[in-house]
Amino acid sequence: MIGFLLSRQHPPEPRRIKDDVVMRFDHVYEVDPTLMQTIAQDDMPAWDTHRIVAHRWDHLDWMHDHWADAVLSAEDLEE
Amino acid sequence: MTGVLPVGIADHVIDELRGICGDDGVRVDRPARVNRTRVPAPFRVHRWAEHVPDVVVLPRSTEQTAEVVRLANRERIPVVPRAAGTGLTDGATPLRHGILLDVKRMNQIRDIDLVDRTVTVGPGISMLKLNEVLRPHGVIYPDDPASYPCSMVGGRIGTGGWSLIGARYGHTRDLVISMTVVLPTGDVVQVGDGGGRKLRKASTGFSLKQLFMGHEGTLGVVTEATLELVPRPEVEFAAFFGYPDYRTAYESTGALAKSGFATLAGVVLFDEWKLAYLRRDDEAYIEQPESLRAVVALAAYGNRAEVTPAARALMRIGRETGGDYLGDEVSQGDWAARHDRYAIPLHGRAPDGQVVPMSWHCEDAALNYSVLPQVREEWHAIVARYRERYGIFDDWGMFAYTNGAYKPWGDYLVEIDVGIWEQQLDDEAWEGWVNCKREITEVTLKYGGSISACHGASREGDVEYVPTELGGAFDVMKQIKRTLDPNNVMNPGTYLLDQAYEETP
Repeated sequence: MIGFLLSRQHPPEPRRIKDDVVMRFDHVYEVDPTLMQTIAQDDMPAWDTHRIVAHRWDHLDWMHDHWADAVLSAEDLEE
Repeated sequence: MTGVLPVGIADHVIDELRGICGDDGVRVDRPARVNRTRVPAPFRVHRWAEHVPDVVVLPRSTEQTAEVVRLANRERIPVVPRAAGTGLTDGATPLRHGILLDVKRMNQIRDIDLVDRTVTVGPGISMLKLNEVLRPHGVIYPDDPASYPCSMVGGRIGTGGWSLIGARYGHTRDLVISMTVVLPTGDVVQVGDGGGRKLRKASTGFSLKQLFMGHEGTLGVVTEATLELVPRPEVEFAAFFGYPDYRTAYESTGALAKSGFATLAGVVLFDEWKLAYLRRDDEAYIEQPESLRAVVALAAYGNRAEVTPAARALMRIGRETGGDYLGDEVSQGDWAARHDRYAIPLHGRAPDGQVVPMSWHCEDAALNYSVLPQVREEWHAIVARYRERYGIFDDWGMFAYTNGAYKPWGDYLVEIDVGIWEQQLDDEAWEGWVNCKREITEVTLKYGGSISACHGASREGDVEYVPTELGGAFDVMKQIKRTLDPNNVMNPGTYLLDQAYEETP
């Protein structure tokens, strides 16, 4: 299904990764909410989290492309 | 900051400035002035009003800049040049109010010379924007600070900037070939090697170019610069290695830095405190094992034919000296992020573990390789004492980064990153912070280092030690200042150069 559904924008419940880190979406780390008492944590809809993560990857890809024609992979070099 | 902001400059001067720069080039409104007050380094926010300029001017040319400076010299009004305001040593922060001379409208690319391999620009262009224009020509201007997307050529010159890829391509002072400078009297001079605008090496006369590198706006305003162009790299290579202890990582850093590959652009060593900080908050390190206690990263750029064999050899050296490769995702992603550290929203931890907003202070120094382990221990011990006492500081760890242009083995840019909860600052806490900086600086000098490799040494907590570090050379600095700026109008108060006017010549 394509389209915006408000019911899908509530992020899932966090799962604990470490003592002071939780995770709601794969590879998206959050500080343990219990450590966010001085500065209240924003409630973020799922789309906004995904937008920020995608933008971050876009930014890193852009930076690689900005500095050189290609990125040399150490893993490929050593195969 | 609230309240009225009085303009401490006479109306007729404001009118004259409008006659020089046009109505749209003179700003006395509150946002224009307040937004050009501080730099990103921790700031005495409770004393913000002490540093607000009286007026902001935005000249479009060398001629307008010279007229503004002549007027300021005639009226004895302080002038503070400012580019992007991303520096970390308050060079662009007005200490005596006055005229803030913003160079951002001098952002033109005036000449791209693909034959003699130079580009001539105004000081208000960022390196990122410049390189976007240069890309179709197959060349780059390789000055790469951690503020790469937002800092500007003029500020890089004023600071005497350091580049992430300086081991390969040189730092700002190596990359600027010549400059047009408006002196504090309003006279305009061209400085470079000899009298040529595009010559990299000459033996005619004094070498004045370096005099205008890192002067923090105290000797004039750069209005044009001719810069080096190098071939756009065919490939980029980055490798991050993990180590079980600092000592192994330190030895590995030395081996990599001494490898002799000309394509090697930089090697950086992150210590245990830095790893603890990254493991707390950085996606690349949160799930790294606790056994990972130090990291060494390297980057190489150039033609594929030279980088590929060098990369293989560097990988071998990294592994043979005890490093575990952390993988392409960490290596490539973390390296790409290092070009843009200013985009990171910062927070730290209060002593009770709670997350609090903090600004980032990076206390830097130039230190030889041989003293890095001992300096690291003494610096961390100092910060720990102040953190315990004041509760608003956070130790974000240290790194040591190859420092020499083209010869990256003997000395390092060393930084300890300290988070500061600015909203909690008052005079007592600020004085505590400055005392912390002083103790760090004393350690630097004890080990034969220099107060700054990168940011400049004109901040409180550093600048008091400049005469100690430089000795008789500081007297020469004062004589030069007094000669070029007889009325002390150019960024007065910076670098203790008021002393130049207090003593008998």
